[in-house]
Amino acid sequence: MRPRARDAALGVTGTLGVLALWEAVARSGLVSPVVFPPPTTAVVDALRRVPLPDLAGHVGVSLLRVAWGFALGAGLGVLIGITSGWYRTLAALIHPVIELLRPIPPLAWIPMAIVWFGLGEPSKVFVIFLGAFFPMVTNTYRGMTGIDPVLLRAAQTMGLSGPRLLFQVAIPAALPDIATGVRVGWGLSFGVLVAAELIAAERGMGFLIMHARQLGEIAVIIFGIILIGATNLVTDYCLGEVIRRRLGRWHPG
Amino acid sequence: MATIEIRGVTKRYESDDPERGLAIEDLSLTIRDNEFVTLVGRSGCGKTTLLNVIAGLVAPTRGEVLVDGQRVTGPGGGKGMVFQQHALFPWLTALGNVEFGCKSRGVPPRERRAAATQLIELVGLRGFEDKYPVELSGGMQQRVALARALALDPEILLMDEPFGALDELTRIEMQDELLRVWSSRKKTVVFVTHSISEALVLSDRVVVLSARPGRVRREVPVDLPRPRERTDPRLSPLYEGIWRSLG
Amino acid sequence: MGERPRLLGLGFLALLVLGWEGASQVGLVRPFYFPPPSRLALAFWELAGEGFPEGVRVGRHVLVTLTRIGQGYALAIALAIPLGVLIGRIPVLDRLTLPLITFARSVATLSLLPLAIVWFGVGEASKVALIAYGCFWVMLTNVIAGVKYIDPILVRAAQTLETGPGGIFVRVVLPAALPRMFAGMRVALGVGFMVIVGAEMIGTIQGLGALIMEARTYYRSDVGVVGMVLIGLFGFAIAVGLERLERVLLPWHRGLEAVRR
Repeated sequence: MRPRARDAALGVTGTLGVLALWEAVARSGLVSPVVFPPPTTAVVDALRRVPLPDLAGHVGVSLLRVAWGFALGAGLGVLIGITSGWYRTLAALIHPVIELLRPIPPLAWIPMAIVWFGLGEPSKVFVIFLGAFFPMVTNTYRGMTGIDPVLLRAAQTMGLSGPRLLFQVAIPAALPDIATGVRVGWGLSFGVLVAAELIAAERGMGFLIMHARQLGEIAVIIFGIILIGATNLVTDYCLGEVIRRRLGRWHPG
Repeated sequence: MATIEIRGVTKRYESDDPERGLAIEDLSLTIRDNEFVTLVGRSGCGKTTLLNVIAGLVAPTRGEVLVDGQRVTGPGGGKGMVFQQHALFPWLTALGNVEFGCKSRGVPPRERRAAATQLIELVGLRGFEDKYPVELSGGMQQRVALARALALDPEILLMDEPFGALDELTRIEMQDELLRVWSSRKKTVVFVTHSISEALVLSDRVVVLSARPGRVRREVPVDLPRPRERTDPRLSPLYEGIWRSLG
Repeated sequence: MGERPRLLGLGFLALLVLGWEGASQVGLVRPFYFPPPSRLALAFWELAGEGFPEGVRVGRHVLVTLTRIGQGYALAIALAIPLGVLIGRIPVLDRLTLPLITFARSVATLSLLPLAIVWFGVGEASKVALIAYGCFWVMLTNVIAGVKYIDPILVRAAQTLETGPGGIFVRVVLPAALPRMFAGMRVALGVGFMVIVGAEMIGTIQGLGALIMEARTYYRSDVGVVGMVLIGLFGFAIAVGLERLERVLLPWHRGLEAVRR
């Protein structure tokens, strides 16, 4: 069997193995099937309680939120990263402030966000924005400052300077690091989204789980957790593919 | 006594492309005791593979290698090796690296420290014992690598393009170093390079390998006394000869 | 050039802080929305004295939070290292577990909070379990990578130096994997801090995350901000501590970073 196919087969076997174990333990009677339902019944039960259109609605709301927050956070992050990477005086001014704020976990901002923006969408989007912003700024800045000076010098000997140098050489050279920032930022945004929805929301995947807990619907909780994980995986994969298409050909790493 | 007999060694690697898979085919070569032999050839001619087979790191698909009449079945056992990318353990100091083999053999700390210190002096790195590889220059790293390989007092020294990553001047320096060390501790040396001039300066015999699959194309003895002048006119015809054979 | 940017940065920072204070004093910004440093100082004093909520002093909050993180983190690391080494060294095991690990990592740790509450109640166990979960998978992937991606030439060199498989494992594989393991520990720590905040926002009144939530309930934005600052401070301090430790334990790796750039 060719190596690739064999790896895939092993992977599938491992996953099925775990699922089988789960099923076995849940049905064995060692734990109450109410708190530890087997995967088969969990899925069926969950779908019965939360019909597909409702489910799609929650997923949609969540994705929209994280898309907004991420777009704003990544956008501003890239902007600041590029400008501070290009104009070092700006970096000297702004970075201490950013470094000071960075260790504060985005979730810790929730109460302040509610004070500033109220209980609605903006406060959640703000926190998600924070989740994407910091990794984006850091990675972009690192990309900008890590550009091989030889590249810039070579471009300068060809007559490039100022904005053209920035857009035609510096930014492309920084793209791999920016791409890393995008993936990390997305992952963080997603995590923050879920938490934000657990704490203060009326719709969305996080809310779904929290609500299910109050109703005692364990199956829905488990299903929701898996759904969130799957969504995260799929979106991250898509992001990775897009990045790979744009950068993969010329970037060795 | 350390003669090496390579008998009809073939090495095939698993590959989708049958052309690429065959690294060496039916290669036979005899290397005499304390002889300095250099293998020269283009990239991909299997020089490194052959060295790995002699070292016992890789098993041949067919054929065998005999050292002093005994079949090679694994690495170690009197076969020291120096690699192109120094392969020093980054977490150990120069001394720690040189001691490594002795520790594997179970030599007590005091003895191995003394032996290692002596070797570090031999390769001209006194004072650098406590430096980490990352703190040393390329040439120094290779000196440590050489000392490390010599620590177990091997009868055979296998060197895989050890000076390939160094600049020209350091290279020349290292070649002289190597000859100096070799003259004080005679061993059988199998040296791999793709620099013809390097081969001519160092070896008793140059073996030219053809590419894909690797086979012996030609053997060129170099009968001049050492140390050799790199600009010695007597080397030119040999250079020509080897160059032509490379094709 | 070295000193000037730092002075500039600090100066700017000082300017912002003073401006913030000034704007609040003058009435330009409402202290509820942007608690000025003076208010924050008072709030901290209150936390140190009477405590907030009543009786729970700042020291207690910090201790509770750090203890929870510490326990979860230690558990995760203790499990991840041996497991990661095992999986990294045995390719079959690696292939078998890859999809599972990839998925488990994608599960948003805090999404497990409701489940954790159902299984472990609202006490300490659920929070520690959550932190352990988040830290574990991150650490695991890093240990696996550290052990998997060792330059094969180091192993070959050790073989030529008469080192057997056991010796190679202890004296080559493990040391070579250390930098990556430390990287994992750093990232896992960050995850721990991220998770604890969310975990403490439900079902407890002790701990920095709880403090922030409680502050909101009583419209004490000043106390909330102090809580935020404290979390950030401790997170930062511990991260720096870890970096220092790494530099002491792996003096040879630091040089490598400098050389790589």
